Amino acid sequence: MPRGAAARMRLDGVGRRYGVRGPWILREVRLDVPAGALLRVEGANGSGKSTLLRLLAGLDRPTAGRITGRPRTAYVPERFPAALPFTAAAYLTHLGRVHGLRTPEAARRAAEWLERFGAAGHARTPLAELSKGTSQKVAVAQALLAGPDLLVLDEAWTGLDPAARGLLDRAVAERVAAGGSVVFVDHDPGRLAGAADARYRVADGRLHPVPAGPAAGPEQAAEPRGPVAVIEAEGPPGSPPPAALPGAPEAAPGPGGTIRLTVPAAHSDALLRALLTAHPPWHIRTVTAPGPPPGPHAPGRRPPGPPAPGPDTPAPGENPRP
Amino acid sequence: MTASLTALLRYQAALLARSHRWLPPFLVYAAFLAIGVQTGGPILDAYGYAAAGLLPVTVWLSRICAANEPPAARRCIAAAAGPGRAQLAALLTAAGAALLLALGGTAFVALLSDPHSADHRTAVPVGPATAAGLLTALVCLLLGGAIGALCSWPVLRRPGWGVPAGLVAALLLLVLGASPANAALTGMVTGSERGTVLMPWLPLAAALPLAAAAAAVACALAARRG
Repeated sequence: MPRGAAARMRLDGVGRRYGVRGPWILREVRLDVPAGALLRVEGANGSGKSTLLRLLAGLDRPTAGRITGRPRTAYVPERFPAALPFTAAAYLTHLGRVHGLRTPEAARRAAEWLERFGAAGHARTPLAELSKGTSQKVAVAQALLAGPDLLVLDEAWTGLDPAARGLLDRAVAERVAAGGSVVFVDHDPGRLAGAADARYRVADGRLHPVPAGPAAGPEQAAEPRGPVAVIEAEGPPGSPPPAALPGAPEAAPGPGGTIRLTVPAAHSDALLRALLTAHPPWHIRTVTAPGPPPGPHAPGRRPPGPPAPGPDTPAPGENPRP
Repeated sequence: MTASLTALLRYQAALLARSHRWLPPFLVYAAFLAIGVQTGGPILDAYGYAAAGLLPVTVWLSRICAANEPPAARRCIAAAAGPGRAQLAALLTAAGAALLLALGGTAFVALLSDPHSADHRTAVPVGPATAAGLLTALVCLLLGGAIGALCSWPVLRRPGWGVPAGLVAALLLLVLGASPANAALTGMVTGSERGTVLMPWLPLAAALPLAAAAAAVACALAARRG
């Protein structure tokens, strides 16, 4: 599905307060969630970003304003201490059915997602006996297995091991490449760095777009550039790269008639898949594994922000916590 | 949004069955019947007794189903299906479990009781008496479900208040003359005295909108307090 497809959800003048005279937690929130968009929401503790996510996920209704165009939604909570009397596989099959899948398909995808997260061995383990990390993998799998049009992640990475975090990054990029919208909150500023289409900050009960690039004030640091992957691909002679590639890669001429595509690392799998399955397919010459962000003069999708200090620079393939 | 209510009901029913929280209300109801339904007792009185006991048990089952998931799991379901539908599925699952009890209790009474009036002189037709007994049980089930929906999350959220509020409301509905449950039960008792079967159509017609309204309130609030 192409990015930026017509279907989109819109929050129009949305406000939320609890009780008739309670203070406004959120006011006059205006937000478009286009199909195929990856949106990051930031804010201090208690700023109302969780309330915003609950409104986006349809768990809560706005006191004022309207939310229109809600697509099929899935939600991942921060902690999933599910004391439910199911095995992991049975729970995921139930959730797949609730998402509208038929039983065999739900069971197949449940097994597939558990395997993808390296938890296939726990398929028959009761949820109550799972470790915190494996529980969180189940929480993530229940949201991803039905391919929702809108995925809402409330610090879903917390509690996952580094490998599973990378997997979730790629699964998110995959959802976005397939035309789904993803809205996430994470305390790690490097989470999906460079991959998000827009950033928003919740402060004083309002939603402020965070401008990308040097236009941002000194207080608001521009989005840190995350690890990137560089793909050298060769298409049919004279043809431009396919339109609307996942991750909006930066294209530059490469050696020997190739095109060099630089993309946030989380999007690299989705980009490769799109190139290989294009009509006609593209040939992949080289793939350079995710590395530290390029220097200030390297070509980039966005003007780079201030150089990240050494210890915060993400090592290849992992997303350290600050 | 696209989730069918069937999938939700299946999930809630599995949750209730596997959690074993259904066991205490089922045991209590079985004990209630075993104590109060006598072999050879008048059939309409026994049906009234069985239906009266079903009301607080349905409150109990509804409270179990309304809060059978940890909040995180409830939110995952609610995002997929909508909080209102998720809550409706929980309440319907409780009603289904109570219906099983109603059917079991009715069969128990039909097997043991004597199809005669209270003074054992006038014969009471078993078929219509059983139908009236089932309808009376249904009235109590609907009202118990309504109280259960209103005395648990998301309507009543103070911990510790749900059980006393539910018990008092169940008792009031059984004894107050204006309540459909009381009207249906009185009909069974007077029918037993006279040896005639009185179908509780009017109480049923009153209980249905009450139960629907209570469920609607609970489902609407579930969408605001997720």
